[in-house]
Amino acid sequence: MNVQFKKGVLELCVLVLLDKQDRYGYELVQKISDRIEISEGSVYPLLRRLTKEEYFTTYLKESTEGPSRKYYRLTEKGRRYLNELVNEWREFSNAVNQLIKEGVNSD
Amino acid sequence: MTKEEFLNKLNEALRGLSLNERRDILQDYEEHFVIGLEEGKTEAEIAERLGSPSSIGKELLASYHIDRVEQSVTAGNILRAIWAVIGLGFFNLVIVLGPFIGLVGVICGLWVASLGFTVSPLLVIFDFLVHPGTFELFSLFVSIGLCGLGILLGAGMYFVTKVLNKGFIRYLKFNVSLVKGGLKHE
Repeated sequence: MNVQFKKGVLELCVLVLLDKQDRYGYELVQKISDRIEISEGSVYPLLRRLTKEEYFTTYLKESTEGPSRKYYRLTEKGRRYLNELVNEWREFSNAVNQLIKEGVNSD
Repeated sequence: MTKEEFLNKLNEALRGLSLNERRDILQDYEEHFVIGLEEGKTEAEIAERLGSPSSIGKELLASYHIDRVEQSVTAGNILRAIWAVIGLGFFNLVIVLGPFIGLVGVICGLWVASLGFTVSPLLVIFDFLVHPGTFELFSLFVSIGLCGLGILLGAGMYFVTKVLNKGFIRYLKFNVSLVKGGLKHE
């Protein structure tokens, strides 16, 4: 898939994954890279940026195995942003699907 | 690449960031390695999947410099931010530098015009002093009109410059979020 395109969607993926529960960075990376081929290192800069924009807060939590992990939690502001992005995504993907359908039919 | 090599290279690429910031970033990647190793992956495997530490560093550096511009708009900060964004790839040289030069040209031009208009009555008076025979009331009135226009234009430009500045920073951010990072390997 196109690089630029994927980059924009990555933001949406991270936000969606944090909607129902807090997660740590490694977990987020794995959840995404299971489905989409990404360069895993690029998720952390994204997480930092979204944290700076106050979409997330972070906290450290001890883990049963090994050192503590940094968890990310969606803020109210982040949730509003997520809803916005999801709506935009739906509109966008519907439009593209429609165009694909029409394109295929006209062949 | 081993964990240590990866972290060293990343640290190298982050030169220019504050010590706190760097430690914070490195900690994220260190945590990533630790958890990956617990899951039975090798250091080389984890590093491979993370991608190039120098391109990760460049991306972090670019967003750091853009943050700085947002906190305080100085020429130096803007240039550093532009430079950092351009560092993300050749594509950005065209996409970022082109509009920036165009914008700066237009803004400078309008500022100069506003200044010229504003001082035009002085020019008419100066002309009168140098060539006393040529005084025309008409040019004095025109120049006074221009002076008013120049002051208005100057006031307008003050806001335009501010708004464009903000717009350009947003454009830079948009570039950072779009251009890099999805790259699998570089």
